[in-house]
Amino acid sequence: MRQVVGLTSTYSSDEFGVCSALYELGGMVVMHDASGCNSTYTTHDEPRWYDQDSMIFISAISEMEAIMGDDDKFIEDLVQTANELKPRFIALVGAPIPYMMGTDFDAIAQIVEERTGIPSFGFMTNGMQYYPNGISMAMERIVDFYCTEKKETQQNTVNILGATPLDFSINGSVESIQEWLKSNGYTVNCTLAMNCSLEDIQNMSKASINLVVSTGGLKAAKLLESRFGIPYVVGVPYGKKFASKLLEKLKLKKTSLGWDRKQVKKEKHLALIGEAVTSISLACAMEEENDVSVIVLDPLNENNELYRTLDVYVPEEDDVMEQIKSVDGIIADPLYKALCSNKEFYPYAHVAFSGRIFEKDLPNLINTEMKRK
Amino acid sequence: MKKIAIYGKGGIGKSTIVSNLSVTLAKKGYKVLQIGCDPKADSTLYVRQGKPLNTVLAVMRTNNKDMKLEDVICTGEAGVICVEAGGPIPGMGCAGRGIITALEKLETLGIYKQYDFDYVFYDVLGDVVCGGFSMPMRKGYADEVYIVTSGENMSIYAAANIASAVQGFKGRGYATLGGFILNERNVKREQEKVEELVQDFESKLVGIIPRCDIIQEAEENKKVYVTYEQEETPCKSSLETLAEALIC
Ligand SMILES: Nc1ncnc2c1ncn2[C@@H]1O[C@H](COP(=O)(O)OP(=O)(O)OP(=O)(O)O)[C@@H](O)[C@H]1O
Ligand SMILES: [Mg+2]
Repeated sequence: MRQVVGLTSTYSSDEFGVCSALYELGGMVVMHDASGCNSTYTTHDEPRWYDQDSMIFISAISEMEAIMGDDDKFIEDLVQTANELKPRFIALVGAPIPYMMGTDFDAIAQIVEERTGIPSFGFMTNGMQYYPNGISMAMERIVDFYCTEKKETQQNTVNILGATPLDFSINGSVESIQEWLKSNGYTVNCTLAMNCSLEDIQNMSKASINLVVSTGGLKAAKLLESRFGIPYVVGVPYGKKFASKLLEKLKLKKTSLGWDRKQVKKEKHLALIGEAVTSISLACAMEEENDVSVIVLDPLNENNELYRTLDVYVPEEDDVMEQIKSVDGIIADPLYKALCSNKEFYPYAHVAFSGRIFEKDLPNLINTEMKRK
Repeated sequence: MKKIAIYGKGGIGKSTIVSNLSVTLAKKGYKVLQIGCDPKADSTLYVRQGKPLNTVLAVMRTNNKDMKLEDVICTGEAGVICVEAGGPIPGMGCAGRGIITALEKLETLGIYKQYDFDYVFYDVLGDVVCGGFSMPMRKGYADEVYIVTSGENMSIYAAANIASAVQGFKGRGYATLGGFILNERNVKREQEKVEELVQDFESKLVGIIPRCDIIQEAEENKKVYVTYEQEETPCKSSLETLAEALIC
C-alpha cells in the first residue's frame, strides 16, 4: 500500500520547521491556522517551550474567514499585536487551509511591514512538507535579509548552520559542537539558530568557514557562499574518529561534504533511519570505529547530493520495510521499532519524529567514543 | 519582458483576443508566451493549430519529479510558446489552487529564464472567483491587467467586479489595471456604456474589436483569425491597433 503510515509516526512539518528555526531570534512568529494546530508544535515538537519565551502565535483562522478569504482580520490582528509587543521582525507561517485558499503571505507581509515599520516575512509552508524544508526556508530568508554586509574575514572563525532542537534536542549536543570547535582552535561566530541573535546573523559574514549540521542549513550556506565566498563543510562531529576527519575537511577551507561518498558493505550491515546530514555523520562515526557498514535511510527528502553509495531515500513506510529486510540491525527512533520486530533494534530518539517522549534518553554523541563491544 | 493578464466574463472573447494578440506580436518578431490559466485548457487551441499539448497539472500528477519544461510547452503559430495550466476533474478538487501550483511550477522549471520573452500573456478564466484566480496578477507575475468586456450588462458587471478586485489589492504590489478592451456584441449604446465603466475606474479603453463572423469560421478551420483572414478588414486592423497599444 502506498502513502500510508500504518505502524510508525510522521515527521514534524515544514510549518514547525520555520517556528523552530526562528524561535530564539526575537521575532513574532504567527502560524495562520486553525486554533489547536499550534499545540502539536508547542507540546510535542518544541522542547524549549516551557523554559524559554518566544512570541509564537496562531491566528486561529475561522471557517468563515477561510471561506470568505478575509485577510483583513488577520492583518489587523498582526498589526495590533506587533504594535504592542514590538518584535524584531514578523514571520507569517503558512498551513494547509491558507495553502488551499491561496493566501498570499508575501503580499500580507508587505502590508503589515508598511503599517508597522517592522520587517515582515511570509513563509509559504503548507504543513504537507517535512520540517527541513521549513528550517531551510526560514534560515535562508533570515540570512538573506540580515546578513548583507561583508565584514572583515576573521581566520579560523566558524558559523554553525542548521541547528534546531528538532534534530539536536536540547541535550547539550549543540554546545558540544561549539566546544569541539573551540578546543580545536576555532572561534564560533554564529550558531544558526540556537543561542543566537539577529546581531550574530548580521555578523555571519565574518566567518572564514561554515559548518552545516543539518539539511535545513544547506540553503543558507549556499547563499553565504555565493554572496561572500564563504565555503562550507557538511557534517556533524559525531564520534572521535569521524570528528577528527571532519576537522581535517574544515582545515582545507573548501566547500565539501564531511564524508567520503564511497561506501563498502561489511559482514555486519546496519541501517540508520533519519535526517540526512545528522544520520550520515553518525553512520560514518559508527563505521570509523567498528567493523560494520551503516546505510542511511532518509525518509524526509531526496538528498542525492549528500548520499554515499548505499544511502537511500525512503519516502514511504513500505520503502523502509523493504530496505531493512537486508540488514542485520536497525538504529532508529524508538517509534520505528514496530517495523523491525525480527531484527536487532538500537533506539536513537529523534525529536522531529517522536517529539518529547524519549527526550530524556537522548545521548549526546558529539566527539565521543563510538566503539561497541 | 512585459507580462499581461487578461480577465473578463466567461465566454466574452478573452482567449480569442489573447491568441490573436500573441500571433500578431510574434509576427512582428517578438518572442511571446501565452499561458492558459483555465481548467478547460482551451486558451491556446487555435494558436497550436490542433497540435496536442499536455497541461502542467496533468503532467505534474503523473510525473512531478522528473517533469521538464519541454513536457508542457508547444510552439504554435509564428513561434508563440503555448502553455496550458490545466485543472482538476470538473466538479472536484480545487481549480484555484491548481492555477497557483501550475504557475509556481512553471517558475521553478525556469520558463521565464530559459526563453527571453518580450511578452507573456496570462489568459485567466471568467471571474476572480477565489484566491487562485488572482495568482496571475500577483507580485512577480503580470505587471498589468486588461479586462475584456462587451456592452452587455452582465459583462460590464463582471468587468467592474474584476477591476474592483485589482484596485482592492493596492498595497500588495500586484499588477495594476492597464485598461479595458471592448469586444463588441452590438448591443445598444455599447461603446457609451463601456466608456462609463472606464471612467468609473479612471482607466482607459485600449481597444475596440468589432463583432466578426469570420472569427468563428477561422476556429472551424482550427486557425487564429489574423492568420485565417487574408483581407484587410476592420476587425483585423482593430487587433493590430490593440497590439500596437500594448507595445508602447
Ligand atoms: N469579436 C468577435 N466576433 C465574433 N465572435 C467572437 C468574437 N470574439 C469572440 N467570439 C467568439 O466567442 C466565443 C467565445 O470566445 P472565447 O473562447 O475567446 O471566450 P473566453 O472569454 O476565452 O471564454 P472562457 O471564459 O470560457 O474562457 C468563441 O467561439 C469566439 O469565436
Ligand atoms: Mg478562454
